[in-house]
Amino acid sequence: MPSADTSPTPRGRPFREGLLALDPPRLLGSRCTDCGAAAFPARTFCPACRTGVVAPAELSTSGRVHSFTVVRQAPPGTEVPYTLAWVDLPADEVRLMAQVVGIAPEGVELDMPVDLELTGFGTAEDGTGLVGFCFRAVGQVAP
Amino acid sequence: MSLAPAHVAGAGMVRFGKYPADVTLEAMALGAAREALSDAGADLAAVEGLYVGHVFGGPVAGQRIAAQLGLDGRPVSNHENYCASGATAIREAWVALAAGLHDVALVIGVEKMTDRVAGGVRPDPGDLDAAVGYVMAAGHAMSARRYMAEHGATREQIAAVAVKNHAHSVHNPWAQYQKPVTLEQVLGARPIAEPLGLLDCSPISDGAAAVLLCTPAGLRRLGLGTGGPRVLGVGQISGSVQTGLGDLNAEDVSRRAGEEAWRLSGVGPADIDLVEMHDCFTIAEIVRMEGLGLVPRGRGAAWAAEGVTALGGRLPVNPSGGLLSRGHPVGATGAAQVCELTWQLRGTAGGRQVEGARTGLAYCKGGTVNGTDGGSVTTVVMTA
Repeated sequence: MPSADTSPTPRGRPFREGLLALDPPRLLGSRCTDCGAAAFPARTFCPACRTGVVAPAELSTSGRVHSFTVVRQAPPGTEVPYTLAWVDLPADEVRLMAQVVGIAPEGVELDMPVDLELTGFGTAEDGTGLVGFCFRAVGQVAP
Repeated sequence: MSLAPAHVAGAGMVRFGKYPADVTLEAMALGAAREALSDAGADLAAVEGLYVGHVFGGPVAGQRIAAQLGLDGRPVSNHENYCASGATAIREAWVALAAGLHDVALVIGVEKMTDRVAGGVRPDPGDLDAAVGYVMAAGHAMSARRYMAEHGATREQIAAVAVKNHAHSVHNPWAQYQKPVTLEQVLGARPIAEPLGLLDCSPISDGAAAVLLCTPAGLRRLGLGTGGPRVLGVGQISGSVQTGLGDLNAEDVSRRAGEEAWRLSGVGPADIDLVEMHDCFTIAEIVRMEGLGLVPRGRGAAWAAEGVTALGGRLPVNPSGGLLSRGHPVGATGAAQVCELTWQLRGTAGGRQVEGARTGLAYCKGGTVNGTDGGSVTTVVMTA
């Protein structure tokens, strides 16, 4: 897993089918047409009510940090340290895990606002660039 | 609903730790199995089925063990539920005994890990969270940070779990580490995933543990009378897909695992005298005890710091030293917890004995699967 980079315009295709829209950047989830509960990544069933029909949904790009850690030891091949967070998307009531960029680890705080950002995610076997997602601290300058 | 209890006629372990590469998985399993058989005074001919829990053991590890142990030809099954694998094997053996399939079953939990895993454990690489950088320590670190914010717990209180469990391990000859640590050492250890440091994490370990389970008819056949600790029930459930923005430490999976344990065993939280808890990380012991309903919500860290969960306290947790000190060879852990409960309920646990222990609970939570609040969770209830 490459560390989330901060290059402004990563090129290529999403590292996983059906996960992301690139232009404009969006996370692709699902939403229950009965109870309205959203899920990310997309599910084929509604994990909230179990009965509803789900449809594809683009999720909000505005999040806040619910909790976070600075990972300083990871399996071989992973560059450390990096800031990993549970990010809440309040508009969709979805919580997902993502790296947070654009802020030094000691500057991260609970409930801090963050915005979705695309990031380079390595290279596919055929040489195509892969694109993933992270969240950038709002109003922060990259360290 | 209740199934017939299964008596633990014998328990055995090899000391957990880091073994050289030429000490094989099979050799460790054999060591533990022979200890358990010897403890029961049973010979191999009595064993009607072999149940083996492991994660990294490779295909049909149980049959490889059987072929070396002398149980070839018997029914052998392999059980993988990550850290709950050993306990899952015990559950399946207990169910088989209750169903009347066997009267005597041998269960082995085993793992050779130190030459196969480095730098921290990550779930399946296909897991989306793993793809974005999740490692087990990170998940527990985020749990700890939220726990402190919401309950006013301190870093020192969470670290007290490591101090307590290492103090217990001094009395456990099977433990990987048998030395006390100070609060200052825990707080000053190398950071792994903040706020957790090295001593908040269980080690990567090798090891094996085994138990011989018998029906009353099996006990009679072995000439063991009717006594000895019994497995009253093993609850097993899986995590559910999480939705919404709820409490990160709700541990609904632990609550449901507890309910399953009480339902199957006919005992309740108030009956529990000691707990072998899956403390893969310090914070995990705290939130899982709360999820089970054994500690009031938000009080677990304070209880650890106040000694409530220490040997001599009101509800001793991890008298063995827990995963933090005994070590955590993942497939072996659940079986090792049942060995410890067996010794505690027999009253033979030496310097780590919980006085008057009559009923104990062992809890394992294995794996984190994308989007759920746990992989597989097991709760073993035993009584003297």
